[in-house]
Amino acid sequence: MALVQIDNVRKIYRRDAFEVPVLNGITLDVPRGDFLALMGPSGSGKTTLLNLIAGIDRPTGGRITVDGREISRFNESALASWRARHVGFIFQLYNLIPVLNAFENVELPLLLTKLSKKQRRQHVEAALNIVGLGDRMFHYPRQLSGGQEQRVAIARAVVTDPTIIVADEPTGDLDAKNAQETLDLLQQLNQEFEKTIVMVTHDPKAAQHAKRTLHLEKGLLVESVEEQAAEA
Amino acid sequence: MKFATLVRRNLFRNKLRSFLMIVLMGAIFFLIAALIQILNAFDNFDTGGAGDRLVVQSAFSLATMLPYAHEQKLRQVPGVVDVSKSQWLGGYYKERRNTFAILTLDPNKVPTMFPEMNVEPQQIADFVRDRQGALVGQDLMERFHWKIGDRITLHREIFPFDPELTIRAVIHNSVLASVVYLHQEYFNEALKWNRVGTFWVKVRDRNEMPAISQQIDAMFKNSEDPTETFTEKEFNRQFMNMMGNVKLLFGTISLCSIFMIVLLAAITMSMAARERVTEVAVLKAIGFGRGLILGLMLSEFVITTLAGWAAGIGFAAFLFRAVDMAKLTMGFLPRLHLAGSTAALCAAAAVFVGLVAGGLPSMKSANLHVVDGLRKVV
Repeated sequence: MALVQIDNVRKIYRRDAFEVPVLNGITLDVPRGDFLALMGPSGSGKTTLLNLIAGIDRPTGGRITVDGREISRFNESALASWRARHVGFIFQLYNLIPVLNAFENVELPLLLTKLSKKQRRQHVEAALNIVGLGDRMFHYPRQLSGGQEQRVAIARAVVTDPTIIVADEPTGDLDAKNAQETLDLLQQLNQEFEKTIVMVTHDPKAAQHAKRTLHLEKGLLVESVEEQAAEA
Repeated sequence: MKFATLVRRNLFRNKLRSFLMIVLMGAIFFLIAALIQILNAFDNFDTGGAGDRLVVQSAFSLATMLPYAHEQKLRQVPGVVDVSKSQWLGGYYKERRNTFAILTLDPNKVPTMFPEMNVEPQQIADFVRDRQGALVGQDLMERFHWKIGDRITLHREIFPFDPELTIRAVIHNSVLASVVYLHQEYFNEALKWNRVGTFWVKVRDRNEMPAISQQIDAMFKNSEDPTETFTEKEFNRQFMNMMGNVKLLFGTISLCSIFMIVLLAAITMSMAARERVTEVAVLKAIGFGRGLILGLMLSEFVITTLAGWAAGIGFAAFLFRAVDMAKLTMGFLPRLHLAGSTAALCAAAAVFVGLVAGGLPSMKSANLHVVDGLRKVV
């Protein structure tokens, strides 16, 4: 059984009196251990799909099941605690908390667990060592480069050993060298630690690091668009 | 406790803003504490007497004087031990800023009627003997570097009379430390009056005070000069109320101050919350629930207001201990002490301000939709 099962998912945003359909019936399976890249033009719905998989948004229709649990039926509070245990987030702008140092930023998701202080420290040190920042634990975000910040964000995403990692344009704000390092790191997490990763990107080079790439257009997977065109 | 670091770091995110906010809160809580303590001091004004004195004044007003003839009748009331006349005179020494309490009394009544003045017996005798003698509070002696035997002239405020006095005795009582007493007869002869503002009546048994009060007022009820009799404490309170409804005024100032800090705190806290929309969205994305976000932000805001409380109350405690307000204001204000109940009341107000002012921004943060928060560029 696939880790993530998306069944005829639709998403419509309401903006004042207008309804804006963003996803128009997506059906997709993401197997455990997959590294999936989602590509498509702006407004195609790829980030919305990522948000739905991560449980930070809820579909207007259809069903999303992750690891056997139908998250599309969860209420807000259940989704929050589910995310804490099962999802690691990587954002384009890193989104570290500026008043916390690298160690404290990575520790944040662990504060929601029952781990002791000592156990939390061990997990944080392990995560920061994986991303190669064991020597920068007590540096604040302003004291780190963009690439280092993104690596701290990756350490924060993996520190709880989540079921799935979602990355929204993780290299969008990085130079080529740092982008390459970040993608190598994601690949390493997928290959060595068998983490399931879903990544949204505009960059075909970034998508090459994924095991497979899907394209979205106008709220549909491209294959579906082609099927619709053929039917017409 | 796990979240203490997060709260602490956010508190000092913008050090200047936090500092100014705490100073502002501190200043306002200091003001409120001072007003409450002044009111309490007025309410509990006590010279340290035995509580066995009644004060008889005109039923019309304190400004209306009573005839000397009342004294003999008062002495005949069963339970009355002794009577002394006393008149409030407005006045000052040299300059108006040296204004202090000036009163008359019957000098030979000091040892029996006003033992709490703690005057040396020899000095009392000298004061009684000298018709233009003055009995002076210790703080005034120090302030103006007066010595026993010095001649002083006080200037009129109400009556057409500038007393020329020789200091004969010193009062050793902190509440009466900025008061000058002179002979009732000296005042009376100067103005050619046989009238006085109040009679101070010492009673044998404090339990009989209500009955004696009624009896005195009943005795003069149908005369040309009806009386109204108070216990000393009631009289002092009434005297303070002559300045207007001080309690209402101070209460209004305190409420306005609280309202003002609620508004200022709400503006500052809203700004602080608005700056962190994306961070809150990130926290919610990684699993921080609505209740936790609300609790963290409210704790932060309440800690800020409590820090302001600590600064203001700490300063008040220090100032009241270090500076003798009675000395500084020449007896207009009593010596202030910071009561535990006042500190507790201000602490409750600080928590209230934190909750009310921080409530809305905290709720908005807690209810923030993650996707909207991540999209927002602040």
